[in-house]
Amino acid sequence: MKVCPVLAVSALPGLCPMAAPRAAPVYQLGTRCLPWEHQAVLLLEFARSRGLQPAELLASAGIRTVPALLSPQQLLALLAAVQAGLNAPDTAFVLGQLSLPGHAGLASHALAQARNGRQALELLVAHSARLSPLLTPRLLWHEDELLLLWTEACGVGAAQRNFVVDMQMSAVTSLCQWLGGRRLPWRYSFNRTRPRDLSQHAVFLGADLQFDCQVDAMRVPAACLDEAWPRGVADSMAAQALAQGADPGAAGRGLLAALDDHLLPRLREAPTLEQSALAFGVSSATFKRHLAQHGTHFQAQLDQVRTHWALYLLLLQGQSHERVAQELGFHDRSNFRRSFKRWTGLVPSLLG
Amino acid sequence: MLMSPLLRALQPVPQAPVLGLAHFGHVLALLMAGLMASFAWSGEAKSLQDWRWMDVAGEGGMVLMAAIWITQLRSSRPGGRVTSWLCLGLAGILLGEWVDVLDEFWRLPKELVWDNWLESGLTPLGMLLLTVGLQHWRVEERALSAQLLKRERLIREHRSFDAITQLGDADYLAQQIALEQQRREGPAGGALLMLRLDGFDTVAREHGLAEADRLLQAAGHLLILNLRPADLLCRYAADRFGLLLPGADAALAAQTAVHLKQALGGLAHHGLQGARLQLPARVVWSALDVSEAGAQQLLRLAARL
Repeated sequence: MKVCPVLAVSALPGLCPMAAPRAAPVYQLGTRCLPWEHQAVLLLEFARSRGLQPAELLASAGIRTVPALLSPQQLLALLAAVQAGLNAPDTAFVLGQLSLPGHAGLASHALAQARNGRQALELLVAHSARLSPLLTPRLLWHEDELLLLWTEACGVGAAQRNFVVDMQMSAVTSLCQWLGGRRLPWRYSFNRTRPRDLSQHAVFLGADLQFDCQVDAMRVPAACLDEAWPRGVADSMAAQALAQGADPGAAGRGLLAALDDHLLPRLREAPTLEQSALAFGVSSATFKRHLAQHGTHFQAQLDQVRTHWALYLLLLQGQSHERVAQELGFHDRSNFRRSFKRWTGLVPSLLG
Repeated sequence: MLMSPLLRALQPVPQAPVLGLAHFGHVLALLMAGLMASFAWSGEAKSLQDWRWMDVAGEGGMVLMAAIWITQLRSSRPGGRVTSWLCLGLAGILLGEWVDVLDEFWRLPKELVWDNWLESGLTPLGMLLLTVGLQHWRVEERALSAQLLKRERLIREHRSFDAITQLGDADYLAQQIALEQQRREGPAGGALLMLRLDGFDTVAREHGLAEADRLLQAAGHLLILNLRPADLLCRYAADRFGLLLPGADAALAAQTAVHLKQALGGLAHHGLQGARLQLPARVVWSALDVSEAGAQQLLRLAARL
């Protein structure tokens, strides 16, 4: 029997952050970790230019006094207030366009000086706590294509998920267009049913849109990302400072993203709640409670990571069902097939 | 948080002046107080047993409703002739009913006639004024529709209007295309056209979002001026404008495309900070396909731009 080359997780730097010298700080939905002047000011500035009153938005988001640090939950509440106040179909996309490189300190500075698309996306992924705190981006280089996956950071509710996904996709699209001087041929996949009106997606993102997919992702030929950007700065001081850990908070991970990071290299060993709680330094009961606060539970997160990994191995690596079952810690093929059907509603043989 | 919409609804809303009087509401309240004082002065209070509660509730309710209508009218319309007529009419009805209510509490001597005059005069007078106001409103509405021509056809749908350009959105355009497809008999033509400003994406980054919005407004106005009365202009998304040209053949559509491209390209928008923005325009058009959904045709046009 032909043995497939074992796919090491370390070959996927973006999916799982490279072993950090220090443990990355983990933030939860209620952790006050977002400086006021980063995302919130930009959001309120946008709202004001469109005729909304910042004071009213803060009030309806339940924020009484302007805090120095905002929690992701509060930022989501502000976003919801702006979304409801404007009730315009382009809110997410315009906000996205304005949000990168943004005003998030060193990380934004380094992003604005990126030499090419590859470096920009690597910066975005490595410093997502500053640049994309609500949704964690992950990179996957596959043959001559790059996939940018948008995964949970610390739990965006179902009601707001599409809005935040649209916002982040528009942000990256617009960033690359602005700094690169031309529109990249991105292709988009959405984990939702096809909306009735596609005009905003078609104009702000592009014509290549796929719906009813298992993941929210965008892909682009890798060659496009190596073209030098006109505003790029070689050996940017900001990027160097970041690499040396000048902004420890920038490497932070949302609780769910951190759990995904923890689970991904351990899928073969069928990780348990107890082991994961131990790794996060809390008791099982506390960990369970934290996950519940983020609208999920351990098994759901584990199943999601396994789904993504199975899809990756089946679709992109073209591996056999036996091999994938083994990678995911299943003892036999039929067990894997049953579970996969439960996760995705699909039979693996339909995929490849 | 649940209370906040309610609280917002109760907050005072700016009220339009009536006959140039900004404090029309206060004048009305003063008149009501005066009427009450004259009833109390010249009449004899009825005892509690004589109060007819049904009448008090019914007539009092009418007074309350008329007051609410006046408030709503004044908060939703700009001041002017039509608003004044309508408000005066409602005020007449309100005062007439008020006299009715006061009648329930005070008994006036038989020899006094002014209360009868007020009671039977004010309400019909108010109704007459209201009718005149409604007639004026109809004329005003016709004038407004003429102004809105090229922005809306056949149906008014305020939820589909874009807040920045005051044009219909992509959804409205798709609906109108569907209506046009139904209406059309035989190959009379018709075309869809889409325009964009080349380099618009950098305007918001370099000059701010407010400036980008103003540029879109200017572009919208300019395009409207260059259209036939039957044409419909909508804001598709971002800087894309979509047009429906009913009954246009290929030659007319091509001519319109060239013309609008030149017009938009020739627009020099001056920012509040003194920046001069002149962006070249791009245009695509296609003949209206009777069988395919409008949204699909528009998506294809957007992809070609």
